[in-house]
Amino acid sequence: MRKPWHLAAVAVLCFFLLSPADAAEKVYINGIDANFPPFAYVDKKGVPDGFDIKALDWIAKDQGFKVKHQPQDWDSIVPSLLARKIDIVASGMSITDARKKQVNFSTPYWKIKQVLVAKKDARLTVEQALAAGNRIGVQRGTTEAKWIDENLIRKKGLKFQLVQYDSAPMAIEDVLNGRIAAAAMDDAPAMDAVSKKKAVKILGTFGMPDELFGYAVRKEDTAFLNRINAGLTKLMKTPYWKELVKTYINKK
Amino acid sequence: MPESLLAVLDALPYLLEGSFITLVVVLGAMGFGFCLAVPLAVAQVYGPRWLRPLVALYVWFFRGIPLLVFLFLFYFGLCTALDINLSAFTVAVVVLGLISAAYQSQIFRGAIMSLPEGQLKAARALGMSDAKAILFIILPQALRLSIPGWSNEYSIILKDSAVTYALGVAEIMARTHFVATRTYQHMPLYAAAGAIFLVLTWLGIRGLRYLEEKVRIPGYSHHEF
Repeated sequence: MRKPWHLAAVAVLCFFLLSPADAAEKVYINGIDANFPPFAYVDKKGVPDGFDIKALDWIAKDQGFKVKHQPQDWDSIVPSLLARKIDIVASGMSITDARKKQVNFSTPYWKIKQVLVAKKDARLTVEQALAAGNRIGVQRGTTEAKWIDENLIRKKGLKFQLVQYDSAPMAIEDVLNGRIAAAAMDDAPAMDAVSKKKAVKILGTFGMPDELFGYAVRKEDTAFLNRINAGLTKLMKTPYWKELVKTYINKK
Repeated sequence: MPESLLAVLDALPYLLEGSFITLVVVLGAMGFGFCLAVPLAVAQVYGPRWLRPLVALYVWFFRGIPLLVFLFLFYFGLCTALDINLSAFTVAVVVLGLISAAYQSQIFRGAIMSLPEGQLKAARALGMSDAKAILFIILPQALRLSIPGWSNEYSIILKDSAVTYALGVAEIMARTHFVATRTYQHMPLYAAAGAIFLVLTWLGIRGLRYLEEKVRIPGYSHHEF
């Protein structure tokens, strides 16, 4: 009689599946949108990098905790936080009232404007870009996506079509392709795109109020938030903070 | 060298690391699916009358809901409700495995049904119990016959695994995306990702073809190689 060889293979696979994945000391996991340069991205070696990554690393060292940055889909970043898949979001997150209902934010550390990005040779004003029949790109799940829909489309009754993308760079790609007239995004990633790719330009702001970035944690993690705030306040007074701003955001 | 090619070469080691993760997810899911699918298939063919519709229900359920919906339901819904903190990787393997089990069970069921009915009767006549006959007479043949269908299943799961990026599994697609947003070389990088998937499909199908030849019963198979 032949031995059922496959049973052995199955046993090995089952063992592999049941073995615990991680059983070490508490490492705080920072969920990042790795498609959000210059605040969060993945460098050539696959290591998370960016303004928020470096800032949080400093805070973690200062406050004596361990942190790991984990790329995550932006759409589901708040559910991930609430479901304890991640412990903090330090990835260019705008502080909004809607988000404040679900999570707690650190003290604000960066002010951001929302701008429209178009092809470099496009002869467009912001008003023309938002004209009826045009298509405007935006990243899904962002504050600008929500604001444009609520204010420009519903309240003001503008007739352009909003196209939702996975990430701001994808929207820029479609600006270059000519599929959309312009893309709305935070000014920092827009400047990042302009500095990396010369065929786009910033048209200007489109009336959305400035926003503040903060680090988000779960409501119940107040002690952790205090540590984050203490570290952040300290960091913002150091020359390293200015250096980070210069390296990542104001490159010129 | 053009900038696009440089970007791909630069990213290649990082993407290949991702293909390792993809492969582990796929093999894990297929293994887990296999563990479930064999009993499911046997239950659907030989099981008691009340069990058969339950298996059919499982198959219908897991074939009928999109992968992404399951991933979210499992990762954000079930894990939170049951208060178990599984990693995105584990959830990807389990969900792909549960879905694959539904498909695999039908591959195995088809193979079992293709065997002549007389075999089971002959085994009974020789005094074998049904369980023994299924384990040592039916399944060894049915599983051999299933390999071609199984290689199909492999290539499907391989591609489905790209969806697990939504949970943050750092597989090929996720990594390609990261590099593309940093370098703005979308076209060449997605082409590279496509090429990696092609190679992985080819390797898997070759491997299973080899297995098919290796476990073939001489003089018994329908077609000679």
